[in-house]
Amino acid sequence: MREPAWRIFAAEYNDSQHVLKATEEKTPSYVLTPLGAKVNRMFIVGVLTDIEDIGTEGIRRRARISDPTGIHVVYAETFNPEAAGVLSDMEIPSYAAIVGKARIYEPEEGMLYLSTRAEVARKSTIDTRNQWIIEACRGTLLRINAMKDAMNMSNPTPRQLRELGYPSFIAEGVTEALKMYSDIDIDTYEELLREALSFITSEEKEMKKDYAAEEGTLLQIIGELEGEEGALWDAVAEEAVKRGMAREVMEEVIILLMEKGMVYEPQLGKLKLV
Amino acid sequence: METDVEKAIDEILGRVDADRETVEKDLKKFIEYGVPLDQAKEAVVTKYGGVAHERQLKDITPHERNINVVAKILTVEEREVTVRDTKRTIHRGLLGDETAVLPFTAWKDFNLQKGDVVRIKNASSSEWDGQPRLSLSEWSEVEKLDRDIEPVQRTPQKLPLADLRPGLSNVEVRGKILSMEEREVTVGDVQKRVFSGIMADETGKIRYSAWHDFSLHEGDVIRIRGAYVRKWRGAPQLVFDEKSTVEKLDEAVAVRDMVLPLYKIVEAEGGVDVLTQGTVIEIRKDSGIIFRCPRCNRKIRDGVCEEDGEVQGVEDLRIKAVIDDGTGAVDVIFNRELSEKLLGKTLEEYLAIAREAMDYEVVHDEIVDRLLMVPLQIRGDSIPSDFIITLFAREAEPLQLDYKKEADEILSQLEG
Repeated sequence: MREPAWRIFAAEYNDSQHVLKATEEKTPSYVLTPLGAKVNRMFIVGVLTDIEDIGTEGIRRRARISDPTGIHVVYAETFNPEAAGVLSDMEIPSYAAIVGKARIYEPEEGMLYLSTRAEVARKSTIDTRNQWIIEACRGTLLRINAMKDAMNMSNPTPRQLRELGYPSFIAEGVTEALKMYSDIDIDTYEELLREALSFITSEEKEMKKDYAAEEGTLLQIIGELEGEEGALWDAVAEEAVKRGMAREVMEEVIILLMEKGMVYEPQLGKLKLV
Repeated sequence: METDVEKAIDEILGRVDADRETVEKDLKKFIEYGVPLDQAKEAVVTKYGGVAHERQLKDITPHERNINVVAKILTVEEREVTVRDTKRTIHRGLLGDETAVLPFTAWKDFNLQKGDVVRIKNASSSEWDGQPRLSLSEWSEVEKLDRDIEPVQRTPQKLPLADLRPGLSNVEVRGKILSMEEREVTVGDVQKRVFSGIMADETGKIRYSAWHDFSLHEGDVIRIRGAYVRKWRGAPQLVFDEKSTVEKLDEAVAVRDMVLPLYKIVEAEGGVDVLTQGTVIEIRKDSGIIFRCPRCNRKIRDGVCEEDGEVQGVEDLRIKAVIDDGTGAVDVIFNRELSEKLLGKTLEEYLAIAREAMDYEVVHDEIVDRLLMVPLQIRGDSIPSDFIITLFAREAEPLQLDYKKEADEILSQLEG
C-alpha cells in the first residue's frame, strides 16, 4: 500500500536517531521518530526561508522550510526538475507545500543527517499552512498519548495499544520507538505542541481578520469625541458598541491603531488622534 | 523433585524405546543446564525418535519448535504472498482445540478444509502481534482424524461497523437495516433464500447477507452475534446464518456520517458510502479531457478502442488524484460532474480552451493549479485493487476548517 504522507513537525523529525532499514527489496526504509512515527513519505507546509543551488551538475537545490517548531531541510534534485523549478520561482519568504520522501544520510554509524527529498512542490497559502499545523498537532498528540500509555505497560505490544483504540501503524511505531530510544522526553513535545497551537491562536487575531472597517469607524468616533483632552476610552467603547462593534473587537482595534501610530493616549484612559 | 523426574522418566519410557539408564542420564543433563523439566522431557523423547507430546493450544508460546497438536480447522483461506521475489501460495486461518484458538499459516498445501480435525506434527510457532501463530512447513506432517473436537467458544469480538475487515470471524455488531432484498440461490443442490442489503451504525455502513430467515425488515435495529466478514465484490460483507444469533433491539441507531480517517478505509479493503477528508497530494497523469468509446464507454487512445477498434471518441472530463490525510492514501476518481464542480468550469469550456491552445495538456495543468495540495471532503464507494484503494467519489467539496476552534480543541485534549 502507498505510504501515507506524515505531517510531522521539524523538531520531532530532526530529533530522530534511528532508521528502520529496508530488509527486502521494494520495501521502504523509515525514519523512526522518538514518538514512534515511521516516516517514509511526508507532507510539509511552512514558510520558505531560504533556497540555494548546490552541486555543479544538473539542478540540485536545498530549501529551508520553517514550521512553528524548527526547520525542514528539503532537497530538490535533478531527477525531479519540476519540484526544483517550482521552489526556485517562489519568493522568500512565502508559504510552500512539499510532498517528499525521507532523505537519510548516514556517513558513519551514529551520525544521521535527515532531510526531505521533494517529489512535489507548490506555492501554498496561510489556510493550508494552518490546516497543516492542526493536522501535525493532532498526529503528534496521538503519538504522545500512545507513548504515555505504552510507558505504563510492563511489556507493551502493538496488540495492547490497538486494544486501547490506537491505529496499528501508531501502535507498531510507538512500540518500536520505545525499544530503540532510551529516554523519550514527552514533556518537550507537549510544550512544542502548545507553542505550535499558540501560533494559530495568536495569528488568528493579527492576520486572519481585516479590521479596516472597524479602524475607520473608531477613528471617526475618536475624532468626534476627542475635543482638547482626548476622548474617554469608555465613551468611545459605548459609541462603538452602539454602532454594532463587539467590545473585544473595539479594544483590539484600538491597540492596533496605537501600534500603527494613528491613535495615542495623552493620559491613561483617554484617546486622541495623532 | 526427584519423584517428578522419576515420573518424567516413566513417561518417556512409555513413549520411546530406550533403556532407563540412558534416558535418566540425558534428562538430568538437560536439567543441569537449567532446561525446565517439561521441555527436557520432550527433548529426550525427540532424541529417541519419539513423537513429542500433543500439546494444548493454550500452552503454546511464540518461537517454539517441534510442536504437535490435535486441532480443528475453523477457517482457512488461500493467499498469494511474495517472499524474496518469489510468489508462493499459502493457506492461513484459525485452528482450535478445547483450550484455545490460534492463527496458523501453512507454507505447503496440506489440503486443509474448514471443519477438518487434524493431528499436526512438527509445527513451529512464530510471534505475530505478541501472540503465537502456528506455522506449518514442508517438514510438518498433517493427518486427518476421524473424530470431532468442540473448540473453545470464543466470546464474539464486539466491533463498530467501520472496523469490520474481511477475514474476521465471530464478531458481534449492532446496527440498523437500511435496505433488504430477498433472493433464491442454489448452493450445491440445495435451494436457499438469502437476505441481503446494507446495514449501518454510528460509524459506517456495510453490505450484509443473511443465509437464514431471521424475518428482518428495513428499519429494524438488530444485534448479531457470531457473524463473519468476507470480501465480496471488492468490499467487506457481513455474513450471518443459522449459527449466528440475531436479536431485535428496541433502540434507535443514529445513522449519521462519521468522517473516517484514510487508514481505516485502506484497512477495510473497500466499503460502501464512506465519508473522508484528505489533501490532494498528487494529480495522476490521465486526469483532464479523455476520450471514451461511444459503444463500451472505455477510455480510448488515439481514436482506437481496445474492444471496438477505431471509433469516434466522445469527450469526457475526469480527475484521478491521490488524497492523503497523514494516516493513509487512496486514489480518488472524480467524474465529469464533480470535476466540473471542483474546477468551476464545464467540459465545454475546457474543450474551447484546449482548442484555443491546441493542447489538451492545458486542462491537466489547470487541474494541478486548482486542486493540488487542496484539502477536500469526499463521499463515495471504495474498491481495492492491487496496490491501492480507489475511491469513486459521489460528492466532493473543498474542506474549510475553523482553525482556532480546532486549535482550542487540541489544547483542551492536551491539558485534559
